[in-house]
Amino acid sequence: MIIGIAKKELVDAWRDGRFRLGAVLVLVLLVVAGLLARQQVARETAERDAATALERKNWVEQGNKNSHSAGHYGVNVFKPSSPLAVFDRGIEPFVGTTVFLEAHRQNQTAFLPAQDATAMRRFGELSAALALQVLVPLLVVLLAFGSLAGERESGTLRQTLSLGVAPRSIVLGKALGIGAAIALLLAPAAAVLALLLSRSAPAAEGTWTRAGWLAAVYAAYIAVIVAGSVAVSASTRTARSALTILLAMWALNCIVAPRLASDVVHGQLPMPKLAEFEVEMQKDVMEGLDGHDARSKQIEDFTQKTLAEHGKTSVDQLPFNFQGLVMLESERMAGVVFDHHFGKLWDRIQEQDRAVAWAGFAAPMLALRSASMAFAGTDFGHHRRFARAAEEHRREFVRLLNEDLMNNARPGDHGYAAGRALWEALPEFRHEVASAAEAWRDARPSLIVLAAWLVASLAFLGWSATRLRAVIL
Amino acid sequence: MLEAQKLTKRFQDRVALDALDLRVEPGEIFALLGPNGAGKTTTINLFLGFLTPDSGDARIAGTSVAQDPVAARRKLAYIPEMVSLYPRFSGVENLDYFSRLGGHRRRHEELYALLERAGLAREAADRRVGTYSKGMRQKIGIALALATGAKVLLLDEPTSGLDPAASHEFSRMLKKLADEGVAILMATHDLFRAREDATRIGILVNGRLVAQHSRDEIRGKDLEKLYLERLAS
Repeated sequence: MIIGIAKKELVDAWRDGRFRLGAVLVLVLLVVAGLLARQQVARETAERDAATALERKNWVEQGNKNSHSAGHYGVNVFKPSSPLAVFDRGIEPFVGTTVFLEAHRQNQTAFLPAQDATAMRRFGELSAALALQVLVPLLVVLLAFGSLAGERESGTLRQTLSLGVAPRSIVLGKALGIGAAIALLLAPAAAVLALLLSRSAPAAEGTWTRAGWLAAVYAAYIAVIVAGSVAVSASTRTARSALTILLAMWALNCIVAPRLASDVVHGQLPMPKLAEFEVEMQKDVMEGLDGHDARSKQIEDFTQKTLAEHGKTSVDQLPFNFQGLVMLESERMAGVVFDHHFGKLWDRIQEQDRAVAWAGFAAPMLALRSASMAFAGTDFGHHRRFARAAEEHRREFVRLLNEDLMNNARPGDHGYAAGRALWEALPEFRHEVASAAEAWRDARPSLIVLAAWLVASLAFLGWSATRLRAVIL
Repeated sequence: MLEAQKLTKRFQDRVALDALDLRVEPGEIFALLGPNGAGKTTTINLFLGFLTPDSGDARIAGTSVAQDPVAARRKLAYIPEMVSLYPRFSGVENLDYFSRLGGHRRRHEELYALLERAGLAREAADRRVGTYSKGMRQKIGIALALATGAKVLLLDEPTSGLDPAASHEFSRMLKKLADEGVAILMATHDLFRAREDATRIGILVNGRLVAQHSRDEIRGKDLEKLYLERLAS
């Protein structure tokens, strides 16, 4: 009986010209958004590959120079795009794609794609994820608001109940039918997105697992909206009041909550200003983290310790270029400061992200958005992994240069110059998108919230069945 | 068989139905007459289990509606003033859907045959019901009662708004169903149809059943005069 009701609901929806029009619009938006995103990702990937090759060429062909000077010459590394960015661009347009690696400094990522966008484009940017998060719930609302309240008004609910159909079967059948209509609408879009994914550059390991998780979280979200909407329709006196309530809930969930949550979280967990962050960090590099252990004093202590270890009285007597060793030590000391400051900054951003995900208890879209970005590989967790990998690469690259200086330059030889052989020996930067398991760990708070919503909405649906009346007095 | 024992329903301070005792046997057509607000639709809703009685009991073929409304509804068919159907479905599709909900899966040919029995031609049965007249909708209601094989039929103003020919055809079908042993309770304003079709007539005033007459008792009498006298008393 439940299947019979669901089937009828599906056919009825399909025969409704308004639904067909809405469905076609959503479908076109999803496919166009996917195609545009793919084009953009492909363009960015091509630009990144070209820039990476040019950077390498410039690096290798920089000519002979002091290896420490080469550290200052530096190199740019580029963030690879996640294959699933075609679905959800996440924070990608708003965080940098490039890090300049150089001696003594841990730089932040630069060149935000959003900086290149016009104001109009920023306003109208649409991803397949956004369409699913915002437009599909609206379609569900339009499909579900009259599912029971409207039938009560038209009298078909009386007709159905008079046949001895259990209210639970009616409510479940309606929800299943609306869910099936939405699934049918999304199937072609999912097929197109899967095709785009399979044709994109060699997918990172776990991409299809991530895609499966994405499908699961979006299915859960839509199930929450369907169950909630049918339950509201079952509990309200008229279709008009059901529509009013559901549109208000849609606006709160999809429009108000994301903005409000972001503002509240930034208010409660403020970020340091960029300029202050840089000043504080440089201050600690010079004065030490506790402010009492100045860099000059640390270097002096290190010099004395090194001389003592080698039984020498002057750095010129050491069997290696002491300047190179000082550079290595200086990088180590600065690294401790960078780890402290960037660690605090990144922890704060992740704290904010988690807070927004937990705020999903108030509006499920917040949890879905976090989970979606995590599985698409476009959230801050993934960005942090890239930034961390870039910094590790910087340290290794600077270490190799300083070791070269230490081992190959004669003490006091300021004219020492390394050449192409060393530049070629330095490894290229490679970064892979994190595994699906890591994405799952990042998404865990959002998954908990979505699971809670799913249970609550199904319970609401069940409760609404007990309250389903043919006549509301 | 359909039975009410001291069936009472109040809406806040107002008594909508006051200790109704009623029994409709198989093959009987009981016409419940009364002015607007007399409690006719409340009675139907109580038998359907759409309202909960404050006291008393309504039973459909021995099943208490209050105790097991779903089981009680399985034994009845209901035709309201305007049979509600899905406008984007054809007549036969509506009948198929509702008879399946009622637990009766029938082949398409059987469904067409039932619709023809109810007076709806095949060509009309294939049209979407959004284009149907009220009389055609009532025929779907009758076909549904036939399809589910219900032993009790509840009718709420079924001929209101029908033209005389459609009304006559509807009565013919009702009598057929009664002849087949269906117990029929019909709430109506239509004195003419009540006199023509009913085996018994009850007059409900302010929630109280103030009179009951068999067909023999009213034969040769002016039903309208009798009715107005009861209202005035």
